[in-house]
Amino acid sequence: MAPETSNITPVVQGKIDPRAAEEIRSVVVMTDRLKKLKKEWEDAAPQVYVDDTLLFTESWKETEQMPVDFRWAKAFQKRMENCPILIRDDEIIVGSSTKFIRGNNTLCAVKPREILAMCESGRFDRKLSDISSTVIDPEDLEKLKADAEYWVEHMNPVNYVNVALEEELGKEHFDLLFDHAMILEGRGVRENPDRGLFQGYGAMGGGVIMLTAEVLHKGFNYVIGLAKAEMDKMKAEGALEDRSSANALRKWYLLKSIVIMFEAVVAFAKRHADLAREMAAKTTDPVRKAELEKIADVCEHVPAEPPRDFWEAVQSVRFMHLAAWKESPERAEVGIGRIDQFWYPYYKADIESGRLTRRQAAELIGAMWLKIREVENLVTIKREHRAAPGSQLPNVTLCGRDKDGNDLTNELSWMILEVMVQVHLSEPAVYVRYHEDQDEAFLIHALERNRDFGGGNPAFLNDELGTRRYLDRGIPIEDACNWSASGCLGYHLECAEHMAGAFNLVQAKVMEVALHDGFDPRTGKQVGLHTGDPRDFKSIDELYEAFLKQEDYFVEKMRDHYFIWWTTEIANSPMSGLRAGMLFRDCIPAGLASREGGCRYPIGKMSWVGDKGICDCADYLAAVKYLVFDEKQVTMAQLLEAMDANWEGHEDIRQMCLKAPKYGNDDDYVDEWYVRASRDTQRILQSRPDPITGERPMLFKGAAAGHVTQGKAVGAMPNGRYAGTPIYDGGTSAMAGGDVNGPTALILSATKYPTPYECAGVAHNMKFSKAVLNSPEKLSKVASLIKTFMKREGWHIQFNIHSAEELMKARKEPAAHKDLLVRVGGYSAYFVDLPPELQDEIVERTMHEVG
Amino acid sequence: MAGAKGTVFNIQRYSIDDGPGIRTTVFFKGCPLSCVWCSNPESQNLDPELMHRQSICKRCYRCVEACAEGAITVGPDGIEIDRDLCTMCGDCVEACPHDAMRITGKEMTVDEVFKVVERDVDFYRDSGGGVTLSGGEVLLQPEFALALLKRCKEAGFHTTLDTAGQGNTEGLKSLLPYVDLVYFDIKHIDPKIHRAQAGRTNEAILRNFKEVAASGVPFVVRVPVVPGFNDSSDAISDIADLVATTSPGATVHLLPYHRYGQQKYEMLGLDYEMPTADAPSQDFMKAACEIVKAKQLACKVTV
Repeated sequence: MAPETSNITPVVQGKIDPRAAEEIRSVVVMTDRLKKLKKEWEDAAPQVYVDDTLLFTESWKETEQMPVDFRWAKAFQKRMENCPILIRDDEIIVGSSTKFIRGNNTLCAVKPREILAMCESGRFDRKLSDISSTVIDPEDLEKLKADAEYWVEHMNPVNYVNVALEEELGKEHFDLLFDHAMILEGRGVRENPDRGLFQGYGAMGGGVIMLTAEVLHKGFNYVIGLAKAEMDKMKAEGALEDRSSANALRKWYLLKSIVIMFEAVVAFAKRHADLAREMAAKTTDPVRKAELEKIADVCEHVPAEPPRDFWEAVQSVRFMHLAAWKESPERAEVGIGRIDQFWYPYYKADIESGRLTRRQAAELIGAMWLKIREVENLVTIKREHRAAPGSQLPNVTLCGRDKDGNDLTNELSWMILEVMVQVHLSEPAVYVRYHEDQDEAFLIHALERNRDFGGGNPAFLNDELGTRRYLDRGIPIEDACNWSASGCLGYHLECAEHMAGAFNLVQAKVMEVALHDGFDPRTGKQVGLHTGDPRDFKSIDELYEAFLKQEDYFVEKMRDHYFIWWTTEIANSPMSGLRAGMLFRDCIPAGLASREGGCRYPIGKMSWVGDKGICDCADYLAAVKYLVFDEKQVTMAQLLEAMDANWEGHEDIRQMCLKAPKYGNDDDYVDEWYVRASRDTQRILQSRPDPITGERPMLFKGAAAGHVTQGKAVGAMPNGRYAGTPIYDGGTSAMAGGDVNGPTALILSATKYPTPYECAGVAHNMKFSKAVLNSPEKLSKVASLIKTFMKREGWHIQFNIHSAEELMKARKEPAAHKDLLVRVGGYSAYFVDLPPELQDEIVERTMHEVG
Repeated sequence: MAGAKGTVFNIQRYSIDDGPGIRTTVFFKGCPLSCVWCSNPESQNLDPELMHRQSICKRCYRCVEACAEGAITVGPDGIEIDRDLCTMCGDCVEACPHDAMRITGKEMTVDEVFKVVERDVDFYRDSGGGVTLSGGEVLLQPEFALALLKRCKEAGFHTTLDTAGQGNTEGLKSLLPYVDLVYFDIKHIDPKIHRAQAGRTNEAILRNFKEVAASGVPFVVRVPVVPGFNDSSDAISDIADLVATTSPGATVHLLPYHRYGQQKYEMLGLDYEMPTADAPSQDFMKAACEIVKAKQLACKVTV
C-alpha cells in the first residue's frame, strides 16, 4: 500500500480527537485497487454456481443413516475442503462466496422442484418476471438438472406440515395463509400468493447474529478445544456406554459435528494460504508478491488463532461471515454485528504503534465490503413477493453503550460510515445505536454520510429501548447491552438467542374481513367469525369491536399454525440440520443445537409475531367515522358498494375518502385510532404464550418490502386505496402523500403510542429533499429530530432523500404527488406546480447532488 | 376584542431557515410592499384569496357548476376565474374532488394559532428552536402579533420576528420586549429605487431599523439580492455602510433571488412582473459578501 497520511494518537473511545475525525472524513477509501475491483463487480453478470450443491449431494449420499446434524456437518466439510477457491488480482481480503464475482449459490436439496423448473425452462432470472438476467454455463446446467432430479426423487413428496395442518385445523385453514412459501418449501411451486391474512417468514435460524467477539478474539481452535474437552469428559464419565440415554449419543454427535465444522473453516482458510503462497512464487511483481505473502501469513493464522493485527481481524470476520453464508445459502440472513467493537482493540493497537494508517484500515474495510456484496441468491419466487428483495441482510451495527453506560462510539464507527459512502453498495445495511450521550459531531457525520449515500443508511436505533427489552426479561446487563440489528428489521443478542420464525398478521386485511362480516372477497369464502353486517352498525365503536374480535380469532389460528409447523418441521425435515449452531458456543456444554435451545437464552426460540398495516387501519377507522358517522356524507352501504366495485363508478366517494383525516399529521382525530389499535393489538398478540417455551412472544412489525406483497391481497379500503395496491411501508409510515404537516407532525403521530419494549421492525421512514441536509446547521436540526424521536420512545428512524427518479415520476403523475414539497429558504411550494423548466432545474440539481 | 384575531396564510412546522433550531413559522397575510420579485405573492393581500392549481386540475368542471356567482367559466386552457365576481364562499373548494382549489389566508384567533404552535414543544426543547412570526408583514397586524408573542413567551418559547420593517414604529416597539431575535430585511438605501420596485419608499423601514438596533434585541439584517435592483457593488455597499454605522459588528445575511415563486402568480390570477432574470451568480454573491465583511460586519450567503 502507498505511503500514508500522518497518524493522530492516541485513539480514544466516545468523543474522538477532532483531528482524527478530519483525517477519517478525508480518507480516500476507493484506492485504485478497490476502484478496479468494484468495476469488475459492476461489469459481471450474475451467474449460477453449481459446485456447492453437487458437493453437498455427494456428501449426503455418503452419510446415509447418520444423524442429521452430523450429515449436515459432513456436507459442509465436503464443500469447504473441495469447493473451488481463488484470489483475484489485487485482492487483499480474500474468501469468495463462489468462483464467480456474482455467483448464485443454491442447494438443490432445499428446493429441487423449483430449480428443476428453472433448468427445464432455461430461465434463471432473479425476478422470474421479465428478462432473464442470470447466466449459466451449459455443462453446469446439465449437472444442476441431474442434481435437482436426484433430490426430487429423494425428497418425501408428503409435506408433513401440510398434512398436520389439514388434520388439526381443517382444509379451510389454508385460506388464511398469506403465501405458501414457507410451508411448501421444496415440495412444490408456489401458487396464488396474492391472498390470505397472515404470513410467516424465516425457518430455523433466519435473521441471527452468528459472529461473536469471543470467537474472533480467541480463535476457532479455542472453540474446537472446548468441544473436544467436552467429548473427553463424556468418554471419561462413560456417558456413551449408558444405553439408557439417547441424549448422550445425540450430544456426542452434535459435538463431533461442531468440531468438524469449525475445522472445515480453518481448512478453508489454509487452502487460501497455500494458494497465496503458490501465487506469490509465480508473480514477478515485487509489490504483489509481498501482498500475497502477507495474505498467506494471515490465512495461515486466522480464524484458527486470535488475530495479531487489524488486517487479520478483518480477514477473520470475513471468513466467519462467509462460512455462515456457505453453510446455508438459502437462509442466509446472517447479521455481521458490531464490527466497530470487534475490531477496535486491533485497530487501536495498530494505529498507536504506527503499524497501520487510517487509510490502510479504511482500504481493508472497503475490501471486505466488496467481498460481502459478491453474494447473490437464486430467488425462486417472484422478486416482489419477497420480504426483502434479493437481500442477504448482512447488517452491520455501530456504537451503543456498554454495561456501565459508556459510549462505545469509536474511530471505526466513523470510518465504517465513510467506507459505506465511498464504496457505495446497497449492502451491508448499517445501523447506529443512538443514545443521548453520543457526540453531536458523530451524529452530524452520520447524517451527512446518510445524505451522501442517498438516504436510508445508516438507520438509527434506540439504544436504551433495545437494552431495556432484554433487562426486562431478566437477562444480565453484560449480555443485554450486546445486541445488534439482524434480519429484516429485527435485532438479536450476539449468538445468545435463536430466532425460530416470524409471523405477521396483516391487519389491513383483518379490517377488510371485519367490514364484510367475516367474509373474504378475495377468496370468496367465509374465513372469519360472523361479527355482524356493518350496515347495521350504529357507531364506529361497533366496527372497531368487530375488528378486534376478528383479530383475536386470527391470532389464535396463527399461534396454532406456528405450533404445528414448528413441531412437524423439526421432526421431519431433512433441512433442519445444524445451521446457526456452529458459532453458538453455549451449544457445547448444553449439548443442544441452537434451535433446540442450546443458545444462552431460550427467548429467541420463540416466535416473533407482528402486525402489518396498523397505520392503514387507523386511516380506515377515521375515514369511516368521519364520513359515515360524524359528517354523514355517505352511508355504510354506499361506502361498501363503492369499495366492492373498487371505486369504479364511485370516484366521488373515493375522493371523499382521500380527503378524510389521515394518520401522520399529528391530528388526534385519526391518531387516536392508531393508539387504540396498537394497544389492543399488542394485548391480543401477547395474550397467547409461545406454545413451545411458554414465553410471551416478541412483537414485530415486519419486513422492509412486505407491504407490496401484503397489499396485493387487500381490497379497496376506506382510505381511498385501490384493491391490490401496496399497504403503507415501514411500521409507522403514513399513506404516501398523506402526511402534509411535515416531519415533526409525522414523528408526533408515530410516537403517540410509544414503541413497546419488546418490539422490533417498526421502521419510521422520513423523506427529505437534499436541501434540508445541506449545511452543518441543518444537519444539527435533523440530529435534534432523532433526539426528540428517541426521547418519545421511538425505536427506529431513517432518512431517505427524494431521488431524481421520484421527481421524474411526480412530473408524469402530478395527482399522485400533489404534496411533494420543494423548499428553498422561506419559500415553499409543491413540486408539481412548478413550470416544467423549473422542475428540470430541481431534478437536475437533485441528480447532481445524489450522484 | 382587538388583537385577538389575525389573518394568517400558512403555519409551517419544521421551519429550519427562520431562526435557531426547529421552529414553527406563522406567516401573516398582508404586506404594504409589493416587491416585484416576491416569491410568496399570496402573502401580499390582507384578504383570503382563491388559488387554483392547474397542475392537478382534472377539468371535471364541478367547480363551474358549484359557483353560484358564475365566477368560474370554461376557457380554452381549462377553467377561468373572474376574481371580481368571486365572493370567497369556498363552494368550489368543497366541490373540487382533486384538491386543486384552495383558499389561502384564514382569520384565526391567537388561541387557534397557539394550539398549532405548541404541538412541537418537544422539538423546540431538543433543538433550541421556537416560533417565528413572518409574512407578509407582521407589523401590519401589531395587536395580533403582540398577543401571540406574549403567549409564546409565557410558554417559554424562543421567538423570532421576521419583518420587512414596513409599519408603525410604536407597533414595532410594543413587540420588541417579547422578541428574542429579529430578522430585518433591508432591500435598498435609495428611496426612489425602493419605491419603484417595492411599491413604497424606505423611510419607515430605515427608521424602524434604527429602533431595532437601539433596542438591544439581537438581530440579523437580511438582504434579498435581486438582479436589476440591488445586485451591484454600490447598492450592497450602501446597505452595509448603513448597518455598520448604526450597529458596528452586526450580522448580515445575503439571500440570492430565485424565481420559484413564479407559478404562484398564475394560481392567484396575477401577473409576474419581474423581468425574466436569472439568479445572481455565485461569483457576485461571494464578492458581495466580501464587500459587507470589509465593513467589519459578519456576513454569509444563505438560501
